[in-house]
Amino acid sequence: MSRPDIILETRALKRRFVTHKPLFGAPIEVRAVDGIDLSIRRGETFAIVGESGCGKSTLARMLVRLIDPSEGAVIYDNKDISKLGQKEMRALRSDLQFIFQDPFSSLNPRMTVGALIEEPLRAHGIGTREERRVRVADLLSRVGLMPQHADRYPHEFSGGQRQRIGIARALAASPKVLIGDEPVSALDVSIQAQVVNLLEDLKEEFGLTLIIIAHDLAVIRHMADRVGVMYLGELVEVGPVDEIFANPRHPYTEALIAAIPVPRVGARAKGHAVEGDPPNPIAPPPGCRFHPRCPYAEARCRQERPRLAPIAEGESVACHRHEELSLNGLVEGAAGRAPAAEKRFNLYRAARATSEGAKPSDNSPPPFPSNKE
Amino acid sequence: MPDDAAPLLEVTDLSIRFGKAPTNLVDGVSLTLERGETLCIVGESGCGKSLTALALMGLLPMPPARLMSGRAMFEGRDLLHLPIAELKDIRGDRMAMIFQEPMTSLNPAIKVGEQIAEAVRRHRGASHEEARARALEMLMRVRIPAPEKRLDEYPHQMSGGMRQRAMIAMALANDPALLIADEPTTALDVTVQAQVLDLMRNLQAESNAALIMITHDLGVVAEMADKVAVMYAGRIVEAGPVKAIFDDPQHPYTIGLMSSMPDLGPRGGRLVTIPGVVPPADAMPEGCRFASRCPFAGPDCAEAPPLSDFGGGHRVACWRAPLEQAAEPLQTLGGAR
Repeated sequence: MSRPDIILETRALKRRFVTHKPLFGAPIEVRAVDGIDLSIRRGETFAIVGESGCGKSTLARMLVRLIDPSEGAVIYDNKDISKLGQKEMRALRSDLQFIFQDPFSSLNPRMTVGALIEEPLRAHGIGTREERRVRVADLLSRVGLMPQHADRYPHEFSGGQRQRIGIARALAASPKVLIGDEPVSALDVSIQAQVVNLLEDLKEEFGLTLIIIAHDLAVIRHMADRVGVMYLGELVEVGPVDEIFANPRHPYTEALIAAIPVPRVGARAKGHAVEGDPPNPIAPPPGCRFHPRCPYAEARCRQERPRLAPIAEGESVACHRHEELSLNGLVEGAAGRAPAAEKRFNLYRAARATSEGAKPSDNSPPPFPSNKE
Repeated sequence: MPDDAAPLLEVTDLSIRFGKAPTNLVDGVSLTLERGETLCIVGESGCGKSLTALALMGLLPMPPARLMSGRAMFEGRDLLHLPIAELKDIRGDRMAMIFQEPMTSLNPAIKVGEQIAEAVRRHRGASHEEARARALEMLMRVRIPAPEKRLDEYPHQMSGGMRQRAMIAMALANDPALLIADEPTTALDVTVQAQVLDLMRNLQAESNAALIMITHDLGVVAEMADKVAVMYAGRIVEAGPVKAIFDDPQHPYTIGLMSSMPDLGPRGGRLVTIPGVVPPADAMPEGCRFASRCPFAGPDCAEAPPLSDFGGGHRVACWRAPLEQAAEPLQTLGGAR
């Protein structure tokens, strides 16, 4: 049934968490992910965007079964991985790898960097000890670190470098799909750019499919081929990245785009922020979940829950009024720079290229500072 | 009495160092701010932007921090050399601060209305009822829904955006002349961030308070600032009117920072990055601190460049600025190598 270009698929995927169990009566549940149908194509970068509490991280974890779904299926390689036993799942884990947001808490502080990167290889019984050592050295240089860093511990590295270690570790088992939960959002802008470039290079080099969870729309605009927008446990819109940004079809997508602070003076229309906070997922509003904040809501939206339905090739939206509404995309002039800035930017790029040519190792961090000696 | 012609805040040569560290973490920072003006201090973690703000508020624990030099004249008084009692009278009254994470900076055990009222009682000597009325008025001004109910709620009962509004209400309760906001919207979702930024802009226009906003987000800077100071490794490397910074950036770090940000237009290939990382405090170079990561750096960068004026209040600390002049000889130099 699944077409050949689909690598990972979810069907009516749901996950509930019990938040409170009263002595009497039914336990109080939060429906973190509430019926997601998603198809990821082989070789694409798919981004899932949404605000805190929308269930995007829970969804990401279910895709690699770090969390078991309550209902529904996750299909990888024609197998429903949510039904697999421990052993079978373990065999598949090398194909599906995860990068965590926080490079500070996702690496075991008591293991050396070499051991951390080697661990997945050992777990999957790949190679001899010597082969693994060579592979670790190779991975370290692939992610812009140095082979001699294998003997150091995570705390000796900066945030950006730790994220590189996390990426090397995820790559160790030669995955087919790499899932990043906010992989760059804890990093400073200049470091973030280095890691974004690294992920894109590695994707190309290893033929990966990339799934990126993010709240930063600029990063998504840059990295993604397709985007899924989540609100309160549901997908409200899916489409190609250019379409999503130029012609959003769901009012929530429009609100998200209108809220991006644009790094050009006077670019964003001020005072058009959508009202209210994201509602409590424990008691989602009836009907369309966005209706209390939606400027276009009508009676029907308060009662009837819209379903995600295809509207064009590769585009789906869950909005009753999507046909009649004409929504605004990114403001004119949000992209691009003033002429003088553009000129400087080109000078900078040229100088970077020259200095990189002169010092080929320039892309990697400088020789590691002697650590508090 | 403060001189009306003087700027509201004038910081001169502020330098801070920690313990026995060999270099200053804030090094020779000078800023001026007029009434009603918004200054954004932008930079990455560790650049000294938060330290600068904390020092101005007198919230930096000394020791371990040491004030190496500097003056900060605010309404005729030097904030950096004020007796603590006098500072306490100014803080929360003439100047106030908004922090990044309202959950950790509001007292979790005290009702929100009470926390706002406390500031009014402390500085205005208002009665209990007057202070409570003022707290209610402030919650309305920051557009918190059902303000009467919210007065008697605890911080944990509010959403992140609501808490930040309560925090703003508290900061503005005594009509301060100066508001310092340290990453006020970083912890918020993007739609809520847009609301809070709109709110801050409106309230500032109403009250004519000056605002120093610390942020790492150039998008927020473009939206809020009248003036910008770009900090790198403890120093201001470029400062000026917001339009000059965005449309005519001069310092290689500012340019690198802007080019590191993904563009919102259709995808244009790899991001042009800044290589490497900020030098650690114990290995800070004597000269230009950006030199180790700068594609334009040369031998003369071993000497620290002064912040020189490029016209219209646009100041840049770089020997190579303007880059157009520098690029030509540099490229021939690169070819000869």
